Amino acid sequence: MSELNNNNDSHKQQNDPHYWRSFEELQNDSGFKKIKENEFLEGVTKDFDPNTDINGVSRRKFLALLGASAALAGAGCSDYRDKGEIIPYNKQPEEVTLGLPNYYASTCTGCEQSCGILIKTREGRPIKVTGNPQHPVNKGKICSKGEASILNLYDPSRIQYPSKNSNGFLNEVLWTDADNAVISALLTAGSKEIALITNQITSPTFLKLISDFKTKYPTTRVYTVRQFNESVRKAAWEKCYPGSQVPLIQWDKAKVIVALEGDFLGKEGNLVENNRLFVQNRNVDDVKNFSRLYAVEGNFSLTGLNADHRFRLRPDKQTEFVLALTQYLVASKGVQLPGSLSSLASVISKFDLNKFCDENGISFNDISNMASDLVNNRGRSIIYAGSALSEKTHVAVNLLNEILGNTAVYNTASSAVELTQPSAFSEFETLVSSLNSGNVALVMTLDCNPVYNLPEDLGLKDALKKSGLFVSLTEQLNETASLSNYVLPINHNFESWGDAQTRTGVYSLMQPVIAPLYNTRQKESILLNWLKGDPKNYDERGYHNYLKENWAVSVFPKSMSLASFEKYWLGSLHDGYNLFNEAPVFKLTLNAVATESLTSIETDYQGFVVLITEGTATGDGKFAGNGWLQENPHPVSKVTWDNYAAVSYKTSKEFNLKTGDVLEIKSEKGALKIPALIQPGLADNFISIETGYGRSNSSVVANGVGYNANVLLSKSFTTSPWMFGSVAVSVTGEFRQIVSTQDHHAFEDEMIADQHLKRNIIREATVAQYMRDPHIIHHGGHELHTLYADHEYPEVKWAMSIDLNKCTGCGQCVVACNSENNIPIVGKDQVAAGREMQWIKIDRYYSGSPDNPSAKLQPMLCQHCDNAPCENVCPVAATTHSPDGLNQMVYNRCVGTRYCANNCPYKVRRYNFFNFREHFADGYQLSPSFELIANPEVTVRSRGVMEKCTFCIQRISDARMVAATENRKIKGDDVTTACQEACGTEAIVFGDMNDKESKISKLREHNLGYHLLEELNTRPNVTYIAKLTNTYSEEV
Amino acid sequence: MNIDYSKEDIIVSGRLSIAQIEDLIAKPLETKVDKKFLIALSVSVTALMIGAISLGFSLLYGTGLWGNNQPVGWAFPIVNFVFWVGIGHAGTLISAILYLLRQKWRNGIARFAEAMTIFAVMTAGIFPIIHTGRPWLAGYLFPYPNQHSLWVNFTSPLIWDVFAVSTYFTVSFVFWYVGLIPDFATMRDRTKEGIRKTIYKVFSLGWRHSHRNWQHYEKAYMLLAGFATPLVLSVHTIVSFDFAVSIMPGWHTTIFPPYFVAGAIFSGFAMVVTVLIFVRKIFDLEHLITIDHLEKMNKIILATGMMVGYAYAMEFFIAWYSGNQTESFVFVNRAFGPYAWAYWIMVSCNVIFPQFFWIRKLRRSIPVMFIIVIFVNVGMWFERFVITITSLHRDFLPSSWGYYRPTLYDFGILLGSFGLFFTLVILFTKALPVVSIAEIKAVADDAQPSHHGDH
Repeated sequence: MSELNNNNDSHKQQNDPHYWRSFEELQNDSGFKKIKENEFLEGVTKDFDPNTDINGVSRRKFLALLGASAALAGAGCSDYRDKGEIIPYNKQPEEVTLGLPNYYASTCTGCEQSCGILIKTREGRPIKVTGNPQHPVNKGKICSKGEASILNLYDPSRIQYPSKNSNGFLNEVLWTDADNAVISALLTAGSKEIALITNQITSPTFLKLISDFKTKYPTTRVYTVRQFNESVRKAAWEKCYPGSQVPLIQWDKAKVIVALEGDFLGKEGNLVENNRLFVQNRNVDDVKNFSRLYAVEGNFSLTGLNADHRFRLRPDKQTEFVLALTQYLVASKGVQLPGSLSSLASVISKFDLNKFCDENGISFNDISNMASDLVNNRGRSIIYAGSALSEKTHVAVNLLNEILGNTAVYNTASSAVELTQPSAFSEFETLVSSLNSGNVALVMTLDCNPVYNLPEDLGLKDALKKSGLFVSLTEQLNETASLSNYVLPINHNFESWGDAQTRTGVYSLMQPVIAPLYNTRQKESILLNWLKGDPKNYDERGYHNYLKENWAVSVFPKSMSLASFEKYWLGSLHDGYNLFNEAPVFKLTLNAVATESLTSIETDYQGFVVLITEGTATGDGKFAGNGWLQENPHPVSKVTWDNYAAVSYKTSKEFNLKTGDVLEIKSEKGALKIPALIQPGLADNFISIETGYGRSNSSVVANGVGYNANVLLSKSFTTSPWMFGSVAVSVTGEFRQIVSTQDHHAFEDEMIADQHLKRNIIREATVAQYMRDPHIIHHGGHELHTLYADHEYPEVKWAMSIDLNKCTGCGQCVVACNSENNIPIVGKDQVAAGREMQWIKIDRYYSGSPDNPSAKLQPMLCQHCDNAPCENVCPVAATTHSPDGLNQMVYNRCVGTRYCANNCPYKVRRYNFFNFREHFADGYQLSPSFELIANPEVTVRSRGVMEKCTFCIQRISDARMVAATENRKIKGDDVTTACQEACGTEAIVFGDMNDKESKISKLREHNLGYHLLEELNTRPNVTYIAKLTNTYSEEV
Repeated sequence: MNIDYSKEDIIVSGRLSIAQIEDLIAKPLETKVDKKFLIALSVSVTALMIGAISLGFSLLYGTGLWGNNQPVGWAFPIVNFVFWVGIGHAGTLISAILYLLRQKWRNGIARFAEAMTIFAVMTAGIFPIIHTGRPWLAGYLFPYPNQHSLWVNFTSPLIWDVFAVSTYFTVSFVFWYVGLIPDFATMRDRTKEGIRKTIYKVFSLGWRHSHRNWQHYEKAYMLLAGFATPLVLSVHTIVSFDFAVSIMPGWHTTIFPPYFVAGAIFSGFAMVVTVLIFVRKIFDLEHLITIDHLEKMNKIILATGMMVGYAYAMEFFIAWYSGNQTESFVFVNRAFGPYAWAYWIMVSCNVIFPQFFWIRKLRRSIPVMFIIVIFVNVGMWFERFVITITSLHRDFLPSSWGYYRPTLYDFGILLGSFGLFFTLVILFTKALPVVSIAEIKAVADDAQPSHHGDH
């Protein structure tokens, strides 16, 4: 501006001698005047004349030609990769701020627990699922299946349009055609049955819809499929406490927990809640109140892994064990039988605990200690039997809890609600016989897979062909849907409306967060449409309105809300749930008649006993197509992408087996060929198999992974549907590779046994040792010296601590990290090659004898060392240290020498050996829908680049931005890493170690805090809180 | 045995005249290629092509085609790199260090050994580039000024490597070329008009065999020899830093630089002997590359083999003496763990078999020395395999332990590296004088006449 002004001034003051630019001007030279009148010097503009130049091409023309040719080259060679259109919002949606996420509360449908979830969306696209922090049951946490359910939304294998099955080929049809076919079948059903097979319904509104459906089509019968259910427990409870619900257990109130084949931390009940309550008594600042967990089990479960004492016992011996224990308590520990149970005395008198322990190779001394513990903690202990155990075991356990007064540990304030019960096999038998006699006009399967999940000897698979019409409503093709006449694709729950009630007093809402990706409809709308019988006028919002109306009628009045329904509705949607004053009714008066059922207990099984359990990764098969879960290592065996027949060490020696040798397992009903896995700590003559694998006709990812163990199931069972004896096992001589992320090292090898203890990788003590000597884990350490001055971190310095007492090894952090940080699925072959990409893994170390080892866990991720060995060896400075103490990775700069990974003593760096997105399953992860899952804040790494945990640097940046807009400094509490957010037990703490008041600073200084491999002077910023085991023997 | 130490050893046997020497050396260059040559070339080019195809696939799909995995980030490519750099040590050692030590017997083998050095370093040089995940960005390893103000990390041994190897290659190449100038002139003079003459003309840089030329030449050659000498020692020292600077047990040891240099000379000499056994036979150079030459090299192999053996023993001793659990574990694991087979191949090939060279007869027997030097070549490749892989596969945290299995692509590229090396060697035998004409003339009988009459 000033220059311009000067010029103007000089014009005005042309004759003013104070301002002159040259002598010529000063002297008012005529030549100068002439120059000044022309803007450009003579000749300068000659080039601009398009017509005159010595070469015939003027500068201007040259530039014009250059520009034109460049434009032509650009247009002509426009084979540019990204041909996608980029259309900006010309009218920005009200709720969306570009670059900022929106969170919507909804409800998870991963299993029957209906946890509250919070879905993070970016520009209208869901990218991450976490627990709803306000939800009263799961309190902001969610299991790994819930976290991974977002992958099912974007799964390219989803069915994308309705189709009709003609001779095995699925041909696309219009919704109206399919609807018409179904409606005409419904209307012409007459007296014939309409069979509606569904998964367990947790939605009250859907239940109402079904009852409306039943009213319109009265021959409708509803069948519920839930392969792994609590039917045995419920039946036993009904015997003991008739007319009462099964109560929830307040794990936090129990000082002594005895889990009998009961994996309450890994598979049974609401895992999120169980884990949270269990670790309440694993607080290192309150070691006096540590609970003691005993596990008596045949399988090696996650609960057993966390147990302070673990005993091996085949599940069929559990009834005898409980009765013998009761006898011992009564006879030797002075426990009085209540008057009502006096009849039990004669039942248990024939049992002898000492003899039982001898016969089963259990230390009587330790069991006796456990008995003392139970006696000393009457009313503060709990004995928990696993869902797969027999009814008699459950009855015996209920009685023992009653005798010990442990009913106080039951939760009487709230209870689980089951709107429908899983149908018994007998109900399906009836269905099969009606099908076979041609009395079924229509079979509908709603989001379930009975052909896979139910025992084959029910004959459902063949009978379904005799149905008048068979339609499947499903997200993905499965064993059932591939047999149906019409395959109707349904919405993912992120695309659906709905509600759920699984707890007394808690009503949850589900809302869509994205429009349906494909030509799908939510199953409730489809049913509603059939109910209305007018397919042409299908109303997309039909079920939304139906849900709202139902809430207005049946939920709103209960709420005593003073607001209008519309406000109430919006408020509920916002919160994702609603609370009511609704108490369960318990009648905890024992029915002494229950003892009668114990007069004769099941005889011992001969041969091998097989236990079928739910797949940790796959559930009942529903998640078999989920690569994140398939690749998440099994918490105990660390196996990925497979199921296997787990056998004990001793059994493996008897059969001369090695892991991967294929066994043929013959039950009465079926035979299965499945590779063996030597699982230390398993009971002898016992095989444990997870199911949910061996899927066929399913998605690209699920097909052919593992082996279908359901073929061993039978509709007739003696003790429990999931456990059976008299199994013949033979070695086939075949071999199938089983891949795990952690080697199973030979136990006999003196050279490599217990390396984790020799190297102080896992530091542990018993509670008693720690109370005697708080510095116990730090003995024998050396002080480390350095010649150099420490680097200054004047602002925040990020640090993490991981409490090994709280980590139960569930693997939720792994899936959360996958989702947050765009970690690719690599597939079985790459895990076999040792190239899994997960940034956080949970190491499991065995020690002790291979027959009955103890196992310890340690989550392992980048330690963000102050003296990071990776940093100084990178030739191109692609990995550097940030001023807030992070070890950073600059993907763009990385050339992939892998020196950093070699030099990392923690081996936490992950290298993209391939473009894994392209390499896995023919570019499955590059399909247009799958790409939507990526977190836009995190770079998708290319081939040949090193990567590793960043401490969720994108979240730190977000928090820093927020702090800057609020004109304050960033605080440690502003950031929650994805693993921390996911950790159901709050084992992970993250924060600013420069803030001396922060939780993390205190944990770093904790007596139990230690740094891994600190003798290397890497100075990690991850602190581990040493594992305390609350063993009994230490007290005496 | 009577050896007259007052006289110099006879270097050129057979009392060849100067002209005969020249004819003998120039013969392969002046005759047409024969069948033997074509067969040899086709074999080596086939190997080269197998390597090229393996490498092509690796570049197309990624390093994942190899066996490298999470604990074992470095495997065959790095093993091959260190192996070939090691091979590249003999040449400059022979031509520079032995020159400075006035070991005239070197004159017969220096040219060939130097050529092998250059080809070996060329072969080696491929590996650091292709082993990276993104070889197209290998330029990032050079400190060039750029808009991003990005600089290389001078604390990384890999950067030192870049400089060490490229300097070594450049100096070796210049040294080799300077030594070639008089021979280019000789060939120019022997050649009639034609394209060959032009080429020789250009490369002889106007050499006129004048005293002035020779004076300058000798000075330059000696200076370059002086310059190359420390490089011989520094290159493998720095290559050893790739390992020694890390904190991995089994890598992090101070013995590595001398141990690597000794190993490099050991393997380099073994490779030179391997090739010379054939070359002297095929090109009738038995008078110029005599059995005495080979014996002297075998002595060096014996000496350096013992040094390597000492290093093996000392590594074990220090691992035990340090009391460091991880360190001692790594060494016990080497000898008795899953890679024990590789370790014992290494020990037997490098330490046990060369002991036969204590016996003069065996030292001078062509078949025996051939077998032993082949063993040494194999053993030295396995030494790098053992160092690289066994240290990585079981390091600090047992949870991350793994096992490395090479794939067909790994073997393909290894084969290709031999293909490249031998293709270059074979082409060299037809393109340039494999023995220095000028230098051999200088040590021939009657080359240094004196009035005493004995010579």
